[in-house]
Amino acid sequence: MTDPGWHQLLHGIARAEDSASLHRLRELVHDRMVARLPQQQTEQFYAELNDAHDAMIRRAIQLAQSELARLGMGTPPAPFAYLLFGSGGRREQTLLSDQDSGIVYGDSPDGEGREESRRYFAALSDQVVQLLLGAGYPLCEGNVLSSNSEWCRPLSSWQERLGRWFDEPAWEPVRYLLIVADSRCVFGAPELHEELMAYFYRDVIQQPVIVKRMLENTMKHKVLLNVFGQLLREPYGEDAGSLDIKYGAYIPMVNAIRLLAIEANLRETGTLERIRALEEQGLVQRSEAAEWIQTFRLFLRLRMMTTERIENGRFTTNGKLSSRKLTKEMAEELKSGLKVGKKLQRRVYRHTMNRL
Amino acid sequence: MVKKMLISMSALLVLFPAMAFAEDPSGATLNMGLNALWVMLAAILVLLMQGGFILLETGSTRMKNAGHVAGKTIFTVGLCSLVYWALGYGIAFGGSGNDFFGWGDFFFDPAKTSVDNGLPTTVFFLFQLAFAAVSLSIAWGGFAERAKLSVYLIFTILFTALIYPVVAHWIWGGGFLAQDGAQDFAGSTVVHLTGALAALAGTILLKPRIGKFNKDGSANEILGHNQVFTALSVLILWVGWFGFNAGSTVAIGDGFFGFVAFNTQLGAAGGAVAALLISWAVLGKADIGTTLNGALAGLVAITASCAFVDPWAAVVIGLVAGILVFYSVRFFEKMKIDDPIFALSVHGAAGIWGTLANGIFATEELATKVGVGQGGLIDTGSWHQLWVQFESVVICGVFVLAASFILLGIMKAIMGLRVTEEQEIAGLDLSEHGNYGYPEQLKKPSGQNIQA
Repeated sequence: MTDPGWHQLLHGIARAEDSASLHRLRELVHDRMVARLPQQQTEQFYAELNDAHDAMIRRAIQLAQSELARLGMGTPPAPFAYLLFGSGGRREQTLLSDQDSGIVYGDSPDGEGREESRRYFAALSDQVVQLLLGAGYPLCEGNVLSSNSEWCRPLSSWQERLGRWFDEPAWEPVRYLLIVADSRCVFGAPELHEELMAYFYRDVIQQPVIVKRMLENTMKHKVLLNVFGQLLREPYGEDAGSLDIKYGAYIPMVNAIRLLAIEANLRETGTLERIRALEEQGLVQRSEAAEWIQTFRLFLRLRMMTTERIENGRFTTNGKLSSRKLTKEMAEELKSGLKVGKKLQRRVYRHTMNRL
Repeated sequence: MVKKMLISMSALLVLFPAMAFAEDPSGATLNMGLNALWVMLAAILVLLMQGGFILLETGSTRMKNAGHVAGKTIFTVGLCSLVYWALGYGIAFGGSGNDFFGWGDFFFDPAKTSVDNGLPTTVFFLFQLAFAAVSLSIAWGGFAERAKLSVYLIFTILFTALIYPVVAHWIWGGGFLAQDGAQDFAGSTVVHLTGALAALAGTILLKPRIGKFNKDGSANEILGHNQVFTALSVLILWVGWFGFNAGSTVAIGDGFFGFVAFNTQLGAAGGAVAALLISWAVLGKADIGTTLNGALAGLVAITASCAFVDPWAAVVIGLVAGILVFYSVRFFEKMKIDDPIFALSVHGAAGIWGTLANGIFATEELATKVGVGQGGLIDTGSWHQLWVQFESVVICGVFVLAASFILLGIMKAIMGLRVTEEQEIAGLDLSEHGNYGYPEQLKKPSGQNIQA
């Protein structure tokens, strides 16, 4: 990072004292990133932006810890790892991503210790989630949040839960497994997360049938192309004519690559990192990987363009790119990209079905 | 055994008392009786299509207008019957007219057993009346959810007396287009295009429903409140269409009506299948509404040509209609014309296609058999029939559109066409009739439960 102002901003985040100052800093991050959007290279842009998001979350956790200490709850009774899921886990957050988080903490030898840990981390995660909400990070609609006791557990309980999901590969548990596959430790003890993921991948390999169930979930979102190769635009409403970049381009590709990565037992979570790792393992040809990377960069770029500034200076997105912003050249580029995405989906489908 | 025979014999005697007497009915009487039964049955089927229109229009619109939409159909069918009896029939078929309109037989009162062309004139009247009522109900598609009840009253009179019968006379009543050999067996133009163009004039003059289009011109989808009603309506219309098309032979004859019915089924089937597939291919999702429209468009299109084309052509006509209706709906939306029941596409676009299709697919053999016009482009290589069909579509279209615009324009100036914004939001059930069609689902304006 060459921009000294940016460094100052990150330092400022690391020193922020409450959620109001976090919120102010977040607005500054917004403004800088929006100004930079047109000229900056996509990957670099996402890396910097996610550095800033990570810094905000880390600071929120530190502030929450101090607050608990102030309230007389002391220090964490066990080591813990604060996890991000979804786009946060993949380091693909946009300017407007919401909170998807969890906590895994160390096991206690006795019941009393277990209860103490439970109480402490419940309080901690409540604080963190509220601080981040105050800083402008909306809650996950599916309630995948560290403040939800389902997603805040000791390691053994997490493992037991993963085991249950693996034993019962219905739609919902498989969805949770796919969420865990994108998890990343943003703060705390990374070894707890690593242990959890080791367990995850052992079970994936032991139960190949689970991958087939993951496939169904992975293929849920269709690429935005009809059989004539035309773009599928929103037909009605305020967004008529716009393109659902999030669910019609970005997510299908994230899902397809994730499944290939899981099958190959790769621990990377970022989509581009996953593609590179697949190539390194010799599972994907260099030319094909290059094509995927180029396509995914395009989707990331278009996804940034779905950001809209609304009247009162707040930012919002519905993941849809209005037709106004889509030039003819970009539309053509998007079409070829979507064709690559469609081909990738077919490849993942065949690949997975053949394995079983 | 003997007992069974006696029972069936006496049953037959009750059914056919003539058997008890020595005198056999003449061939002509038998022929007339069979024709009368068939056409009467067909008239009943076509009248029953109003049940289809009730469900089509209510299913495709919102709950707050359901009672109004359904009830007004019954009212306008009643009023249409009186006006057609008093005036419309005379303009369409009255004996002392000219090439442009019929004259005579007003307040139609035929002799009790008067027979014309092997058919009781009363039965013929009922059959024709049912067609006029269908055309009228098609027109209402353009008025849905925002026209005043008084508009339904006045326009029923004007349409049934002055618009529909004129076109019917031109093509079916021996008028100038009939003399040219315009082929429209059961009314793709006479009934469907006429109704659709009145709907077009209505919807343009009424302007789109509140909330249909956004300020930037993009359209919103105003979903109907019951897709099952809409699907059921299509089935009722489909069945009724056998009366509509096959009944238009107005005779049993050599059983040709069976061929007409057969082609009708193929046309409808082609429309339904093509519409589902095209929506699936283009939108990525198979659209139910489009499928239903496709079946109806297939029926509308095959209506003109059902007696003039070979079965393979009926399939092609239906398939094309199914695709056409899908794009037509998108076209009207792009033009910012609100078409709540898709009347413009289903009856208008498909009506034009069906009429023109004769000029392409009609065979010389069938044209000779029906006795109207000649074979089309494919069978004869001649463009003549296609030209005649084109001419009839354009002339009828211009007349209906102009007449509807003028009459509705005058009505708009004198009495206004549209309910107030407040009434439209509350729903016509309440504003025009005082009660909701679904009282348990909707509360009167004091509550918060009104669907906007």
